Amino acid sequence: MKQRIQQLQHDSLAALHHAASLKDLQAVRVQVLGKKGSLTDIMKGMRDLSAEDRPLVGSLVNVFKDTFEGVYASRLSFLEDQEISARLSREAIDVTLPGRRSVRGSLHPVTLVTDDIVDIFSRLGFSVEEGPEIEKDFYNFEALNIPKDHPARDMQDTFYINDDLVLRTHTSPVQIRTMLKQPPPIRIIAPGTVYRRDSDLTHSPMFHQIEGFLVDERVTFGDLKGILTHFLNEYFGAGLQVRFRPSFFPFTEPSAEVDIACVICGGSGCRVCGGTGWLEILGCGMIDPEVFTAVNYDAKKYSGFAFGMGLERIAMLKYGVSDLRLFFENDLRFLKQFS
Amino acid sequence: MIVTYNWLKEFVAIDATPQDLCHRLTMAGLEVDSLKELGAGLETVIVARLDQVDPHPQADRLTLCQVNTGSEVVSVVCGATNHKVGDLVALAQPGTVLPGDFKIKKSKIRGQVSCGMLCSEKELGLAEESEGIMILPVHLPIGRPVFDVMGWRDYQIEIGLTPNRPDCLSVIGVAREVAALYGKQLTLPTIKLAEAREAISTHARVAIENTAACPRYAARMIRGVKIGPSPDWMVRRLEAVGMRSINNIVDVTNYVMMELGHPLHAFDFRFVEEGRIVVKCAQEGDTFATLDGQEHQLSADDLMICDGRKAVALAGVMGGLNSEVQDDTETILLEAAYFNPVTVRRTSKRHGLHTESSHRFERGADIDMVPVALDRAAALMAELGGGEILAGVVDVYPQSLPQREISLALVSVNRLLDLSLDAATVAGCLESIGLTVTTQAGKSGIFAVKIPSFRPDLEREIDLIEEIARLHGYDKIPVSMPIGVVDATLPPARQRLQKKLRDMLVAAGFAETINYSFVGANAVDKIALADDDVRRNQVPILNPLSEEQAMMRTSLVPSVLESVTRNLNYRSTDLRLFELRPVFLAAAGEQTAERLSLVAVMTGRKDPQGWAQSGADVDFFDLKGVVEEILGAFGLEQGSFDAAASQPYLHPGKSCALTTQSGALLGYLGEVHPRTLAAFDIDQPVYLLDIDAEELFLHHVARRSFTPLSRFPDVSRDTSLLVDEDTKAAEILAILRQNKARTVEDLTLFDLYAGQGIPPGKKSIGVRIRYRDMAKTLTEEEVGKAHDRMIKVLCDKLAAEIR
Repeated sequence: MKQRIQQLQHDSLAALHHAASLKDLQAVRVQVLGKKGSLTDIMKGMRDLSAEDRPLVGSLVNVFKDTFEGVYASRLSFLEDQEISARLSREAIDVTLPGRRSVRGSLHPVTLVTDDIVDIFSRLGFSVEEGPEIEKDFYNFEALNIPKDHPARDMQDTFYINDDLVLRTHTSPVQIRTMLKQPPPIRIIAPGTVYRRDSDLTHSPMFHQIEGFLVDERVTFGDLKGILTHFLNEYFGAGLQVRFRPSFFPFTEPSAEVDIACVICGGSGCRVCGGTGWLEILGCGMIDPEVFTAVNYDAKKYSGFAFGMGLERIAMLKYGVSDLRLFFENDLRFLKQFS
Repeated sequence: MIVTYNWLKEFVAIDATPQDLCHRLTMAGLEVDSLKELGAGLETVIVARLDQVDPHPQADRLTLCQVNTGSEVVSVVCGATNHKVGDLVALAQPGTVLPGDFKIKKSKIRGQVSCGMLCSEKELGLAEESEGIMILPVHLPIGRPVFDVMGWRDYQIEIGLTPNRPDCLSVIGVAREVAALYGKQLTLPTIKLAEAREAISTHARVAIENTAACPRYAARMIRGVKIGPSPDWMVRRLEAVGMRSINNIVDVTNYVMMELGHPLHAFDFRFVEEGRIVVKCAQEGDTFATLDGQEHQLSADDLMICDGRKAVALAGVMGGLNSEVQDDTETILLEAAYFNPVTVRRTSKRHGLHTESSHRFERGADIDMVPVALDRAAALMAELGGGEILAGVVDVYPQSLPQREISLALVSVNRLLDLSLDAATVAGCLESIGLTVTTQAGKSGIFAVKIPSFRPDLEREIDLIEEIARLHGYDKIPVSMPIGVVDATLPPARQRLQKKLRDMLVAAGFAETINYSFVGANAVDKIALADDDVRRNQVPILNPLSEEQAMMRTSLVPSVLESVTRNLNYRSTDLRLFELRPVFLAAAGEQTAERLSLVAVMTGRKDPQGWAQSGADVDFFDLKGVVEEILGAFGLEQGSFDAAASQPYLHPGKSCALTTQSGALLGYLGEVHPRTLAAFDIDQPVYLLDIDAEELFLHHVARRSFTPLSRFPDVSRDTSLLVDEDTKAAEILAILRQNKARTVEDLTLFDLYAGQGIPPGKKSIGVRIRYRDMAKTLTEEEVGKAHDRMIKVLCDKLAAEIR
């Protein structure tokens, strides 16, 4: 009896080890532990044993069963792993095939630039104002100290709707509209579409500007320099060289043009900056007292500054776009580059 | 304004390099646009003599010249006709690079060797235009560089002047700035005037009828001049500053204008009838021929210079053809006057005549310069043209313009500029540009500043502060940040909604476009708008650049369809584009109405091309899905799509109007009408959304509230129904919603089928309803009861059958 058990243990463990598949393994188990299995067979002989032998053999059977189950379990897990690995390797795909993508849209670069600039000024407490694109001569010119019959009108070739209405030539009329409806202190940024009667490689009859202005008590030219230097460093990168040089706008005095060190060549001179190392980037100045008079602000009490810049020009420098016309051709190959 | 370095040095002794000078000018507000060295790299252009000139054996229009360079004789083929044996010419030797990157090489022209080129003024960059080759003075040494021996080496400095600085429209004006910037003295030209005994007053008289338009008119007379070419130095100077040499007399007027900034005019006195000048306004409707040959219809606002019988000049703008200096002119009546800027500007604009003279007068000439310029020009005319200057000046100046004086407080300067300048520095700045500064007794820190007549732009204290700022240097003003109350509120709803709408469209794959706001008048025809459509009422531009850009657009549809066409031409055929911009509608009031409009289009494939993409094209429902997403995001889920209303540019069977639940019309969507597609040369279906963004923003619902979630399982029931084929999905959904059981969580149409197996005139629609209760697990029985009831209502109302 003992010998039979030992023999069975030997044979059945060998069979477990040789089982090459889960099916084979299951068959071994049935063969040994099943109703008609070898162990069942042995157990049937138990009743013929003497009372002393029975516990002995019983314990032998139990040891065998535990051993068998243990080996079975480890073989099962081994074979399962093998089977899963085999299946997974059959399921392998070419991960280098391109993914299934959806269509990605894009904002126009002028919108991108506008949003970025508005973001920077928002953090400085500026809020956004808008104004009409078909504008009254009064807001576009007269109130900005550009009277009729003044040569300063030649600075901006104008599209007229009639004697009194123009396509606004700059976003500066928003200054007037805003100041007429609210008292200082005031910090405004005004992006918008503007029009000039000029069309060639470097001029578009429609383009975009962003205007900013700040009015308060005791605002100085130093504040103007501070805000704009901060903005340019935020937008084009810290440490950017900035210079202010005198210029003329009828609605600011003193007026300045602001140049930045050429973002293409870094200031050593290239085709983009015309060899000067500097790029003209915006116009600005202290708001002219005449403008305050036009909007009924007390020019003795308040001072302020205003600035304006062309957004296409900024986009061209920021993104390295070489041709102004691309902004209005709406070629998907261009637009997609800003998605 | 162009000046030259050497010309400036006549009036201010500086030793700075031209580059440094340009930098300083730019930083003082006179922006230098370009600095050009005359003769740079032209050392190999030499003086040479023509030893022989023969016709080219193979070409009638060319000559074959034997050119003596001093060291050898070379042959050069020349296309000009103004040269002869013995002439000294400018020979560009092989290797020279002429302005415009024109390389001179030894070559063969029609079989003849040509060792270089005989140059014209234009080819050497000396003049804008020139005829024939340049013939040099006879005494020059052969073989030497032309620019050196002629003394032409100089620098052209082009300044982009702002309109507030008429004083710098002259060499002397720029020199004054230079003197201030370098701390030097300005030296005015010395005038040596030799007058004859006879006085001008015995020959000529001047009367001003309109002293407001012409506060001062002065004249001199030069008799016995001989008209001829100007000397080389004057020709070169004029050419260098961008003017053409005409003859010695006209050149003097131009030279003095460039030098002193004051426009002058020379009349041939033969044609000044009755020997008198009358300054008065024209008769409305008269005609006048200016010396450029143009005829002008005059207005009663045009100020004219007349003689005893007729007009002889358009005051301050241009002289008349009838009195201009001619080859046989002997007596010159020389005019120097001051005209009102507005009068000159109006006349100049009215007649489209922008001249060097009108440019200066309309910006403000210097009234005190009148006699100076007159004397300077008279002296030069006598010098260059011979003749004698009659004694005296006729100078009609009834009321001298008052001297301007501005009070300036030191504290204002320092407060605005954030500086702490002392009185001496401020006074020094102003005096350096010719202003007279005095301190009032007992008032330290308050200056009385006298403004010279050449600075019409200085009228207020702020103007002086600007002068101090720019002369002191903007770079010396410290950088600070403004302090004060900051309004840090969120942007207004309209701006946020615009951004949201843009972002949603980008997320849905659309690329934003920006088209011009102006379109052709036919844009509304191309989208077939009805005759009484308000969008036909376009706002026209008075002075458009072209017919295609003559009208402010009333709809974005034509522009966006044009963008589609352009992209299709570039073979980009899968397109999703949108534009969110204003349209312009004529309004009853004085201003026009601008409304933000959104147009979005889809065409081509649904997905990007790929190995595992369907390749299917977009259709109406792709666009509608986007619209539904937008409505959802704007809190307008219950908007309706009304097929009964559409637009003429949309397919009548595949389009609809979009309205809110409250009935507000938002816009339209659908497939573009094939006729409209044809009008834009588009050959693939395009789906288009056209909505009024203002309405969308107006009706948007910002409120959001939370619906609690059920912890219990859901049960779905599907039912296929046979309905009439023209039954609208919206009707089915509406009936179900109206009769919705309390436990309905969601209802969808999941299948639509017609064809085989379905009786003709019918279609099969699959309805899926999901049930869930907040408080318990629903039983089969409860769900079945609710579902059967809803389906029964549907069957009753639509005569539908369960399949």
